[in-house]
Amino acid sequence: MAGLEVAAIRKTYSSKAVVDDITFQAEAGKITGILGPNGAGKTTTIRMIMGITAPDSGKIWFTSNGKRYAGVPRSLVGYLPEERGLYKEARVMEILQFLAGLKDISAADAKTSAIDWLAKFGLSDYANSKIEQLSKGMAQKVQFIASVIHQPEFIVLDEPFSGLDPVSQDVFKAEIRALAARGTTVLLSSHQMNIVEELCDSLFLIDKGKEVAYGSVARIKEQYGNYRVQLVADKAIESLISSTLVESCHQHSDSRWTLGLKDRVSPSEFLSTISKDASIKEINVSRLSLHDIFVKIAKGGSSNERNMENRQMGSYEELA
Amino acid sequence: MKETWKIAKWEVMRNLRNKQFIIGLLLTPIIMAMFSGVPRLLERWNQPAVSTYYVLDQAQGMQGLSEMSLGNVLLKSYAGSAETIEQSVREAEVAGYFSLHHGFFETGELELFFNERNNDGVGVIGSFLSNLLQQQRMQAANIAPEQLAHLTSQASVVAVAMESADVPGGEEVIVSMAFIALIFLLIFSSGTMLMQSALQERRDRMAEVVLSSIRPNQLMQGKVLGHFLLGVLQLVFWIALGLPAIIYFLDFPVWEAITQVNVPVLLFFGLFGYLLFSAIFVSLGATMEDLQSAGNAQGLVIMLPMLSFLFIGPVVSNPDGVIAQFASIFPFTSPALMIMRNAITRVPTWELILSAVVLIATTLLIIRLAAKVFRVGMLMYGKNASMGEIVKWMQYKDV
Repeated sequence: MAGLEVAAIRKTYSSKAVVDDITFQAEAGKITGILGPNGAGKTTTIRMIMGITAPDSGKIWFTSNGKRYAGVPRSLVGYLPEERGLYKEARVMEILQFLAGLKDISAADAKTSAIDWLAKFGLSDYANSKIEQLSKGMAQKVQFIASVIHQPEFIVLDEPFSGLDPVSQDVFKAEIRALAARGTTVLLSSHQMNIVEELCDSLFLIDKGKEVAYGSVARIKEQYGNYRVQLVADKAIESLISSTLVESCHQHSDSRWTLGLKDRVSPSEFLSTISKDASIKEINVSRLSLHDIFVKIAKGGSSNERNMENRQMGSYEELA
Repeated sequence: MKETWKIAKWEVMRNLRNKQFIIGLLLTPIIMAMFSGVPRLLERWNQPAVSTYYVLDQAQGMQGLSEMSLGNVLLKSYAGSAETIEQSVREAEVAGYFSLHHGFFETGELELFFNERNNDGVGVIGSFLSNLLQQQRMQAANIAPEQLAHLTSQASVVAVAMESADVPGGEEVIVSMAFIALIFLLIFSSGTMLMQSALQERRDRMAEVVLSSIRPNQLMQGKVLGHFLLGVLQLVFWIALGLPAIIYFLDFPVWEAITQVNVPVLLFFGLFGYLLFSAIFVSLGATMEDLQSAGNAQGLVIMLPMLSFLFIGPVVSNPDGVIAQFASIFPFTSPALMIMRNAITRVPTWELILSAVVLIATTLLIIRLAAKVFRVGMLMYGKNASMGEIVKWMQYKDV
């Protein structure tokens, strides 16, 4: 199989396992999401994949053109880190040529490619602008271009959508899909669940350094997503709220309720318990969204407010 | 090496396009010229005004001349009488007067009256009158001036070294000192720039992107190499401006002096000194959030190259003493002080070799430790690292 294989990697700092026995794959031509609450170990995992830090144990392989490499070859990878920035006083074209040059792309090829990409993002007029003259969103686009300009076979995008307006988000989404369609292995980390749900073919959920869920989006929803009933009625319908099939009930207003169904309760099973004269105005039964699943999974970890990725002192060891 | 070179090239190009760098490049020689030129100019302007004294020349000491110039003092023969001379001095506002009377050649005593404001002329007039007195008395004793000169001539001692080839000449000392000064200029200017560069890499959040393409060691080496080239470029530029000026104004035999210097020793200790300190500076930059918030430990490390200055006195006064020996072998001071010692005395070969070995070993070790600190530090965001943490980073294994 072409793409990324991560096998049982571990990273320990001061006897605390930050990443604990993680195994997953990201297929070529597919978008794989890596999700988890802050401090779950995502950035450490990504840095190990990038070869910026080394795992204590475990292996990382990357397969390209039938050849399986130990570790991801640096020339094949593009990286958009969560902590973003570009040399402020450098010009857009210069910096793109420099970063492409580090991937062994000639200055002339880099320029041709950069011109195409800048046009795609509507930045053609800014090729000779300094980074400090660009808006945050523009700089982010330039950095995205920097991560794809050398046509990598594998691209890691850490929070690519943060700070983007909806129009730019759509442009990014389209480009990411196009990259995958060309056969690029895409690893995407984001907290914007709606986008993850929309883009990703498969997901890896991590919390406290451990795997909590892994598989296609549909499978994870099946595994974690109980059904949810959104109800609009004139008055509370006691028979439904206190039904034995219902796990939780949340009243939003005088006329709106959300009921959470218990595990393995199907929509039809619940609907068949509603009496014909119940004064229901609207009823909507759906799976939990990825957002809800994430919150549900992360709840256990929510007491862990320490944001490892923002690295206050003391969590410095996270990075070595 | 290719990657290192790419980083070096980027650092060079980035700085060459940076206004601050260009301004510094041009401003430094201007400032240097000002510091060396302005005092000379001031000195010239500060030449004291000429003080005029009236002389009532009764004894014909001025041999009938109406004026005599003795450097800053102008003697003017006064035509009037002794009664009016004081009044005339006050009116003309000149420095003073004296009366050269016949009695002077008998007793050698004379009263010089001076204006309250200034009596600068006493010394000059004193020696003028002494000569006059001697001449007068020699004439009286029938001694020719040539005879007198012969009798009072001074002994002249010429020092001849028995092993003249091995003893450094004054010119070698000057060239060595100039070289040390240039190396320190290079260490401080590119050291600061290296620190800034590492800091900026972190501040601009570029480290992760760059490190996804190249290894931290290559990034560090590229920075050190790039700033070395920039520093050399600066020096060459300044020397190109300064050397003609030195040759023209100071009349110093630059080329002759350079051929007398032990060039391999200069280059070896200069280059390794530079490498040692630049590795320290670049990794130091990776431990700091910004220059202003540098901690005490970091501040001390920045001062490390200054350590050499402590030993300059002892080395110059006793270049073969124990302190000089220590300072020219201890790796943080040996680059400057070995060059200096070698210029003012004959350093035994074993000491040269020992010092070189210690310096190479220390530089390699420091580069290794600095690379680790740099690697970990570059990916830190937040605040300055403590000394304890830096020591811990040094113990991490390599990627």
